This record gives sequence, C-alpha cells and structure tokens, in this order.
Amino acid sequence: MTAIATAGAHRAGRTAQAGAKRWRRAVTGWSFAAPFTVLFLVFLALPVVASLVMSVTDMRATDLRTPFAVDFVGLGNYQRLFGDDLFLRAALNTVVFVAAGVPLTIVAALAAANALNSGLIRFRALFRVGFYLPVVTSIVAIAVVWRFLLDPEAGLVDDLLARVGVDGPNWLGDTRTSLASITVMAAWRNFGSLMVIFLAALQGIPANLYEAATIDGAGRWQQFRRVTLPLMRPALLFGAVITGIGYLQLFEEPLVMTQGGPLSSTLSVSYHIYNQFGFGNYGYAAAASYVLFVAIVALSVLQFRLLGTRDD
Amino acid sequence: MRNRLIAGAACAALALSVAAGCGRDADEGAQTAKEVGAGKASGEITVWAMGTEGEKLAEFAKGFTADNPQAKVTVTAVPWDAAGQKLTSAIAAKQTPDVSMIGTTMQGGLAKTGALDVTPTDLFAKDTFFPGAWDTTVVDGTSYGVPWYVETRGIYYRTDLAAKAGFPAGPKTWDELTAMAKALQATAGAKWGINLQPGKTGSWQSVLPFGWSNGAELTKDGKYTFDTPQLAEAVGYYQSFFTQKLAPANLPQGALEPAFIRGEIGAFMSGPWHVGILNEQGGKGFAGKYSVAPMPAEKSSTSFIGGSNLAVFKDAKNRDAAWKFLAWLSKPDVQVRWYQTVSDLPAVQSAWTDSALTADPILKVFGEQLKSAKAPPAYPTWDQIAAVFDTEMEKVCVGGEDPAAALKRIQSQADSIGTGV
Repeated sequence: MTAIATAGAHRAGRTAQAGAKRWRRAVTGWSFAAPFTVLFLVFLALPVVASLVMSVTDMRATDLRTPFAVDFVGLGNYQRLFGDDLFLRAALNTVVFVAAGVPLTIVAALAAANALNSGLIRFRALFRVGFYLPVVTSIVAIAVVWRFLLDPEAGLVDDLLARVGVDGPNWLGDTRTSLASITVMAAWRNFGSLMVIFLAALQGIPANLYEAATIDGAGRWQQFRRVTLPLMRPALLFGAVITGIGYLQLFEEPLVMTQGGPLSSTLSVSYHIYNQFGFGNYGYAAAASYVLFVAIVALSVLQFRLLGTRDD
Repeated sequence: MRNRLIAGAACAALALSVAAGCGRDADEGAQTAKEVGAGKASGEITVWAMGTEGEKLAEFAKGFTADNPQAKVTVTAVPWDAAGQKLTSAIAAKQTPDVSMIGTTMQGGLAKTGALDVTPTDLFAKDTFFPGAWDTTVVDGTSYGVPWYVETRGIYYRTDLAAKAGFPAGPKTWDELTAMAKALQATAGAKWGINLQPGKTGSWQSVLPFGWSNGAELTKDGKYTFDTPQLAEAVGYYQSFFTQKLAPANLPQGALEPAFIRGEIGAFMSGPWHVGILNEQGGKGFAGKYSVAPMPAEKSSTSFIGGSNLAVFKDAKNRDAAWKFLAWLSKPDVQVRWYQTVSDLPAVQSAWTDSALTADPILKVFGEQLKSAKAPPAYPTWDQIAAVFDTEMEKVCVGGEDPAAALKRIQSQADSIGTGV
C-alpha cells in the first residue's frame, strides 16, 4: 500500500518534473526564437492581417487620420472588382501575358542553355555573360534602349523591316502590338536567369545516358525528347513556377514603357492595383491584391500538377 | 501551427474591428479657423516643397527671416513623384511638417483627411487671389490653404505662318481656330495645323478648357456632371482636329518643340513654361516668331488654372508662425520677387500690375486668361476621375469613338466612384 503510494507520488513527482522541464525548454526555445517571431509578427503577419481587414472595408486615403472609422462592406470590394471593366481588362492582359510569356521565356532559356552546352563551346563565357546581362541591367536603361529600338520613326526594328519592304507598325503605340512587344521584351529580359539554371541541369545529366542512346540509334531530337527533357523536369518545373509568379506580377515593363497604354492594352493587374492605391482606394486595392494572390497560388498549384514528379 | 496563429489573429482583428464600432462619423460641415496670434513669427517653421520650388525656397525665405529674426525656415525638397506618398505617410504617422506645398488637384484628398488647418480669414482675403486659384483651396465649403503660384493654358502659334494663313493676330473663336489650323496646313506649309494632346495622362487639362468655354459645368448639386450637351459638343470639337487630320494623333515625346521651331507644327496648346523652352531651343531671333493667343471663345474664353497651394497642417508644431510665413509669401511684392526667382506666375492679382510682369506681351495674355480661368472641382476623387477621363479621351482622339458615348462612360464611372466628400 505504502509502496504503491510512494510509487504513485514518485510518478507524480516525475511528471511534474517533466512538465517543468518541458516548460523550461519551451521558454528557452521561444526566447531564442523571439527575435524572429517578434519581427515576423510585427512586419509580416500584422501587415498581412491589416491588409486583409482593409480589403473588407471601404477605407480610402481620406481616412488616414481615423483608420478605424470606416465602414465594413463585407465582400463588396470583391464584387465591385469583378464588375470593373478596367480590372477585367487588366486581368485579361495579365493572363495573355503569362500564357504567352512563360512558354516563350522557357523555350528561349532552354534553347540558349542547349546551345551553350553543346554548340557554342568556344565562346561559352562570352555568350553566357551576354545572355545573362539583361537580367542584371536596370529596367530603366532597358526601357530606354527598347523604346529607341521600337520607335516607329527612327527605330532599328522598323528600319530593318523597311529595308525588306515591310511597313513596320508603331510597336508600343498600337493596341494590336503593344502587349506582344512587352511580352517579347520581358522574355528577353528574363530568360538569362532561367538559362543558367537549365545549363546547370543539363550538365547534371550523365553523359553515359547519351552514349547509350546513341548506341540504341537515337537521333539528336530523340535524345533531347527522351533523355534531356524528362531528366530536366525538376528544373523546368522550378523555372515555370518562378517565371509564372514573376509574370503574374507584371508591373515594371508597362510602367516604364507604356504607362499601361495605349487604351489600357498593357495595363496589368499589379499596375491596376498600384493605380488604385495611388488614387487612395485602399480597401479596393487591397481586395485586388488578394485576388492576384489567389491567382498566383492557383497557377503554382496547376504547374505542380502538370510538371511535378509523378510516381509512374 | 503558424498558419493557425495567423488565421486566429486575422479573425480576432476582424471581429475586433467590427465590434469596436467601426463606421463613419457624421459630416461636420463647414469649419472655422482659429485666430493667428499677433506679433512677429518665431521658432522653426518646417516646409516641404516640390520641384524647383523645393530647391529655391530655402534661399528665398531669408527675406522672411530678415524681418522675423526669431524665426527659422527649414525647407525640405520633395520630388514630385514621391509627393503624394510622402504626404499621406506623414499624415498617417502624424509626423507632418508645419507647411507643405500641395498640387491643386491633391488638395481635395488631403483636406478630406482632416489633416489640414483651416485658412485663417484674418490673414488672407479671398479676393486678393485669382478666383479660380482660390477655389482650388476650398473643399466642402471651407478653405484649407492659400494659392501660391498659378499657371494656365493658351494657344501658341507661329506669327509668321499665321500671317501667311490670314490670321496675323491668332484665332479668336472656335471657327477661327479650325480655319487657322486648316490654312496653316494648306497655305502656310505646316505639316500639322495644331498640336492638341490626344488623350493620355493630363489631357483633361487641354480638353476641359474647351468645355468651360462652351458653358459646361463639371458638377451640379454635389455630383459630377460629364454627360452634358455642352461638354459633348466641346469634346466633339476637340475630336474634329484629329478626324480632319489637322492635329497629330501620335506625336513622339519631345518632338513638339523642334517641329514647332521648324514650322512643321503651326500652333499648339500649352502653359507659360513653354516660353522658356521655345526661347532656349529656338535660339536667337525665335522669340519674335511666335505669340500666344487666349483660349478661342465659343460662349466664353475660359482656360484651365493650375499651380500649387500652400497649406498648414493641424499637427503643425509652429502653426502661427507657419501662417505668418504664408502671409509673407502672399504679399504682392514677394510674389513678384518669387516670379523673378523661379518664373512662377503670381497667384495674387495685384502682383500683376508690377512692371516685371506687364512688360511681356505673352505674360499679359496669360494674366488676362487667369482672371476667368477655372479649376476642376476640389473633390478627393478628382485624380481618379481625371484618369478615367484621360483614357476615354484617348479613345475619342486616337480611336475615333463617339464623344457622347465616351462621356456617358465617364459619367457612369464617376457615379460609381463618387465625389469622396
């Protein structure tokens, strides 16, 4: 009886001790994590929560001094968003830009990486720098150069077209070519970083696989399709996701090249949000940001489904 | 774990904000100003100013501190691009300067935040300023600030070409403007009769003067009114220059001035700053080859008045001295000296009798025009409406769309955006 009681007391004492120990460990752990946790809560979680709250109110720039004296409008901002012609136009532009730009960038990067890996051995360093240069160049400088190139009066592109007897369009000033011009420029500007990643992936493919394929009688195209592409799938997935996320947030290019014009043909969702914040429609702009966020998540999930590793 | 934490915090914040009795207070209506104490100004006055004004004001303010040795004026230059952002952050953080320069179209939004101090009527008399300029400071019946400098629009034209075209004194009416543009092209050999902004950012400043000259009113009973026959007629007239190929619809940036100097463009609509640009680019002797005509009249000759105001913040640490500084800047002789320093046109009417301004015939035209010039309504949402207006004008000028239909679209946008008051 006593023995059992003592054993029970012992056990209780031990659990209490263990509890205290766990508590102490938790305190130590959290105090070590505190600097990050506090920074995270104040500078990341709080703004995120604040913007989410903002998106369900009718807050405007004029409410700055009294940010809590605003009306709760529920999903009103979201409803208005999908009735806003300009937002729908911006959404369409962005979808077209992503749908055309992401494949274009990936194909260009893949082609450049393959060329560097096999063909252009001699001046590889030179080409690698050349292809990568647009990535590290300021968008402002790029915009100036491209505006010169695409100028209808004195631009190089239309000048070359005129030499072969084609009357070139006003690339950035025509609603039919403006978005396409921006897409090509964005692809040119961004394919360099993907190329570097793809090049690394290509060099990671064992040479004996190609040897075996050659012995089996596979041609270059077959080797590329059956050996290179499947082995590069993780790199391709990474490239597609990163580029997709970046392209959905298209902003700098139209800002410096066309200001969203002509006739809103290059207005992107991010640009629209930027404008709305500029007009002081904080609630409305916050709602638009969340729509964009959901779109980015959806696109990434889709890409993982399509390109992700399958166990078959 | 973290996700659940964030979600919990979000729910809590949402519930809190709803429960904490969010919701707007009733309007307080017209406000009255506190009096400004007598005597000389003292202490530090912090001022934000943009552009050239920001660079030159510090030096210029020494004239004020000479009279008020106890006071010190500290000027911070703010780039125009960042002005709106900086001011709104300052207001949100309640860390405003004492005084800031404010673009006339920003006035509505800033005043509505309640951050601006009401103009003390004992220091400033409304009728010393151009009426259009004073109106830009008035939001919901109360004035928040004073006009500092102004600008307006007129028609620049080549006198030599216009003489050949049969309009040596420039156009007086709408019909004459069209006829002159046609004749400049047909008989005087200009490639384009006139240059008007074909929509895009800021084009409302060119289109609206035609509307006002045709008797259009932009507001009625506290609502925007774009869908009026007067404005439709004016936009149609504006469009006619593009449909008749009298004005270029796609002039590259920076091409206007060289083309005007070469005589390829016979006339264009712009503000006072173009005098300096033309004289610099045109070289010697070009100053005699062009002149400026007031806005051609239909029902009246009414132009656009722009410029900047100066306002004092409610959170100012040195309010009385700040208003005294603004009173000094509004003195006619100081306004003339400021004109001589940075070429900003005086907002105070009596400054225009000074010989520094009366001597120049082009300035005289602008001075006359300013007396009747109008500004857009000082509503907090004006910038947004203006952006809609600019986009629709582009459709009209470049895309050839129907003016009345474009104005209907602007009206429906304006109705859904509201005035923001």
